[in-house]
Amino acid sequence: MQIHPPLLRLLASIILLGASAVGLVAAADVSTSSFGEIAIPSPNKPADAANCVEPVAVMRRDHMKFLLHQRDTTVLEGERGKKYSLVGCIDCHNPAKANEEIVRYEDPQHFCAGCHNYASVKIDCFECHADRGLSSSQQSNLSLQADRLQLSMQTFRQKLEQPRGD
Amino acid sequence: MKTQPAMRYAEIKTSTPGYWSVLIGMAVIALIGFAAAHHMDVEGHHITGMSNQVVWGLPHVFAIFLIVAASGALNLASLASVFGKQAYKPLARFSAILAIALLVGGLAILLLDLGRPERLVVAMTHYNFKSIFAWNIILYTGFIVIVMAYLWLMMERRMHRWSKPAGLLAFVWRLVLTTGTGSIFGFLVAREAYDSALLAPMFIVMSFAFGLAMFILLLTLSFRLDQRELDASHLQRLRKLLGIFTAGVFYFVVVFHLTKLYGTQNHDFERFILAEGGIYTLLFWLVQIGLGNLLPLALIYAPRLQGSSSTLVIASMLVILGAFAQLYIIIIGGQAFPLNIFPGYAVESSFFDGVISEYSPSLWEFLLGFGGVTSALLIALLGIRVLPIMPEGLPAETQ
Amino acid sequence: MATELDNIELRPARRQFLKGAAALAATLVAPGVMLYKTGQASTSGQQLRWGLLIDTNALSEADVDACVDACQREHGWKAEVNSPTAAQWIRKVKLTDTESGHQRFLPMMCQHCADPPCVDVCPTGASFKRADGIVLVNKHTCIGCRYCMMACPYKARSFIHETLKDQLPVAPRGKGTVESCTLCVHRVDRDGANAVPACAEAVNQGGRKAILFGDLNDPQSEISQRLRKLGAVKLRADMGLNPGVRYQGL
Repeated sequence: MQIHPPLLRLLASIILLGASAVGLVAAADVSTSSFGEIAIPSPNKPADAANCVEPVAVMRRDHMKFLLHQRDTTVLEGERGKKYSLVGCIDCHNPAKANEEIVRYEDPQHFCAGCHNYASVKIDCFECHADRGLSSSQQSNLSLQADRLQLSMQTFRQKLEQPRGD
Repeated sequence: MKTQPAMRYAEIKTSTPGYWSVLIGMAVIALIGFAAAHHMDVEGHHITGMSNQVVWGLPHVFAIFLIVAASGALNLASLASVFGKQAYKPLARFSAILAIALLVGGLAILLLDLGRPERLVVAMTHYNFKSIFAWNIILYTGFIVIVMAYLWLMMERRMHRWSKPAGLLAFVWRLVLTTGTGSIFGFLVAREAYDSALLAPMFIVMSFAFGLAMFILLLTLSFRLDQRELDASHLQRLRKLLGIFTAGVFYFVVVFHLTKLYGTQNHDFERFILAEGGIYTLLFWLVQIGLGNLLPLALIYAPRLQGSSSTLVIASMLVILGAFAQLYIIIIGGQAFPLNIFPGYAVESSFFDGVISEYSPSLWEFLLGFGGVTSALLIALLGIRVLPIMPEGLPAETQ
Repeated sequence: MATELDNIELRPARRQFLKGAAALAATLVAPGVMLYKTGQASTSGQQLRWGLLIDTNALSEADVDACVDACQREHGWKAEVNSPTAAQWIRKVKLTDTESGHQRFLPMMCQHCADPPCVDVCPTGASFKRADGIVLVNKHTCIGCRYCMMACPYKARSFIHETLKDQLPVAPRGKGTVESCTLCVHRVDRDGANAVPACAEAVNQGGRKAILFGDLNDPQSEISQRLRKLGAVKLRADMGLNPGVRYQGL
């Protein structure tokens, strides 16, 4: 079936225009400022931004290498609390907040999610790891357990004081 | 010895609507199987019947069947190349492609059932060589490569003299592979159902029987597809082999259970499988022994049925049914029986200690299993279409 | 701007990293049990080996419940009654002597064997034993094949069957991997010989030590002294696995 050249040209221009329209609308979605600009993602910055473990430029390029290396020394050798510990990162980049809503990895405002969603680099860290810091009272499982134990301590003491019936 | 004309092989050319609809149907089932696996991956294994008690379920039954059958399907090529039985030579190429197809199907199920299938690259780059599982990864992938090379050497007439050493390598490799598959269970000292050196040779004989049964079924199907001549005399030769192999499987099962019965400490487990295990006992006596061993033997050796091809096909189907039952009992029955951690005590806990664990396969597991089987069949049926694997005809021998 | 980035001295970090990665790759290929140095120094001069001594005579049912509870709170898992897919790092086991009818309760967890079958069978080496004897799953490498669960003589391991949320920072756990008792390795790495696993902390009240943690290889440690004085049994001792968890009263 022969398509008439002018008709072909018309079809091609319609398709191209349509595609560009879709593209522009999509770009507009991403940008937070004026039409046509692509914005850099802006996730929540940590309060103490000046004191990250490495300079920002280094972290931007190499944070994954530090993490990948640190995870092996932690799991295999038991090194905890070191410079690149993930818990340390999260405590700074997504600390527990008293009365505000905790930001989870699914939120675009999460420090890691912000850039990773934009760059479309899927990470699976938070399938297992905690994506938020815990408050100091939650952090200290010891105090939590002690609280809990107070209750059961009373039961224990009662049981211990009773003659063993078995 | 009379010289015979060179065997001619040709791609099958059938293009009937029936043929295509079967092929498309299989493709759809295979795709559904992959979708089921994806759903299992996204949702987690809680949607399956597998649990912390029965960790390997129906997908593993399918996968191990396909892998064991794959290694056995190569037998006929080995009989030709390694043992010099010229009568099996025309079937050697089909044997090779079937072996590849079945193994790929089985491996696919195994890999798709992993908790983290996206870490396949990790599995292929981190090896713990004390683990038979790690060896199996190498053995399975190596098998595919070696048999592909073997098939090519058989098809490429100029390289024909290399097909013998390739056949020998493939034969030895598949013995190691089947030993490895049986040892997955045989090396598990913790469980009463396993912990036996007998499992490795038993799996080898199982592979002979299951592989040949699959071979017979798919051979008759493939010849019928293109209406090529397959004289009954060729099938009768296979009949005798199937009889010997099925008897072999029966022998190993008897020896395995008799030996376990001799140990008083195993009596609870044997009682579970042979008498009080509900579904497992039913499957054992009715399906594995009755339908899978004894009835096929009767069909194969009955004097009045000697010439019949259809009884051979039925016997093959029964052997395969028995195979599934046997693997179900080995894999799932072996896990359902509790570990004996505290001899002399009755045990109770929230982690199902001391009780027979329950398992009922979910739809997803069936779909994944069927997906693997249809993938294997598709590979075989498409393979004989694009490559000159099927003999143009196997008439009665002129000797 | 581009030149500034180029001038940043990354090479030492990169060299370190490559060295570490190469060493790691070499050790990962080593068969079977893989040994890693730990940060702990042994007081006895020998390679230390952490273990637990559990006195079942001193543990009532409520005590064992408290152990299980404490582990859950520490690591963020939940024991669900009658759920075959629920994880269970530690469980209460009720033993009834079939002849005398005597009942006792004990906590059952990963036994941290010296020759762990789970380590032998893991295809990727994710299940491994540290030099200090703690048997762990490296969940970064675990592919979720569950072969270690088949191999464990104590049914200590659990597979995670669903997507998890709200994990605790000390205990990363996720769908598709296998886990088990870690002997509170995060506490051990922090406190060494003074560490008290959560289960022990729950029952060691008022000076009694129903669950004692210590260095089995140090003859002067409290656990070794108690073992010498009172003895203990290893579960499934006939298998020759030399577990690090010992039980008294069985």
